[in-house]
Amino acid sequence: VNLEEALRALYDGGAEFVVIGGAAMQMQGSARLTEDLDFCYLRNQKNIERLANALAPFHPRLRGAPEGLPFLFDAATIERGANLLTDLGAIAFLADVPGLGGYEAVEKEAETINLFGLNQRVLSIAGLIKAKKAAARIKDREAITELEAMLEYREKTGLKWPQPSRD
Amino acid sequence: MTPEQEKLALELIRNPPPGSDLAAAKEYGIDLTLPHENLKLTPTERARKFEQGARAMREMRLAGERHRAQP
Repeated sequence: VNLEEALRALYDGGAEFVVIGGAAMQMQGSARLTEDLDFCYLRNQKNIERLANALAPFHPRLRGAPEGLPFLFDAATIERGANLLTDLGAIAFLADVPGLGGYEAVEKEAETINLFGLNQRVLSIAGLIKAKKAAARIKDREAITELEAMLEYREKTGLKWPQPSRD
Repeated sequence: MTPEQEKLALELIRNPPPGSDLAAAKEYGIDLTLPHENLKLTPTERARKFEQGARAMREMRLAGERHRAQP
């Protein structure tokens, strides 16, 4: 996964999005590994076209589809919520997040984190807990337990978050 | 993280208050020293670590697939 290039491409393309899922967990300090990038995006035609234009140079194709299967990547692909494989890694775009709702609701639960010099919106620990609880997947039980402990750790230590800010 | 915060954080991890979420995580077997160490990194350093971890996971997955595909 090339998170930096993915963020730069979307940022430079003027797209509105929030980093969610496993990548957001790691940015918040979790030690859990993940292999893909999940983004929640603002569902309007202009933004969807911006996302599609930003990602197009990285050869998006359908994840799990046979090699060589004819595939047209465009704004409609993003609207359909396809899981994509790109030169930057596996990427998924979600218009809605379980437990939170659409982009506006997700954005309210996000925090600004400086990543690679970009002020990036990343889902908060509290937001991640809500989303994972709503998804109610067995595999998320451990993640929820870790996130709840991280939230308590944050409250009890009084640490500024996300921290530190050497960059 | 100040030395005082570090001391408090490590105490919370080693001896979480009974009934707390930290205690529940410890009981579950989650090693909270890992996120604790991650929080000493800048967000960009965490992002780099994420990239490396994702790459390693992919390589392991592909190696497993190659192994299983052998006759």
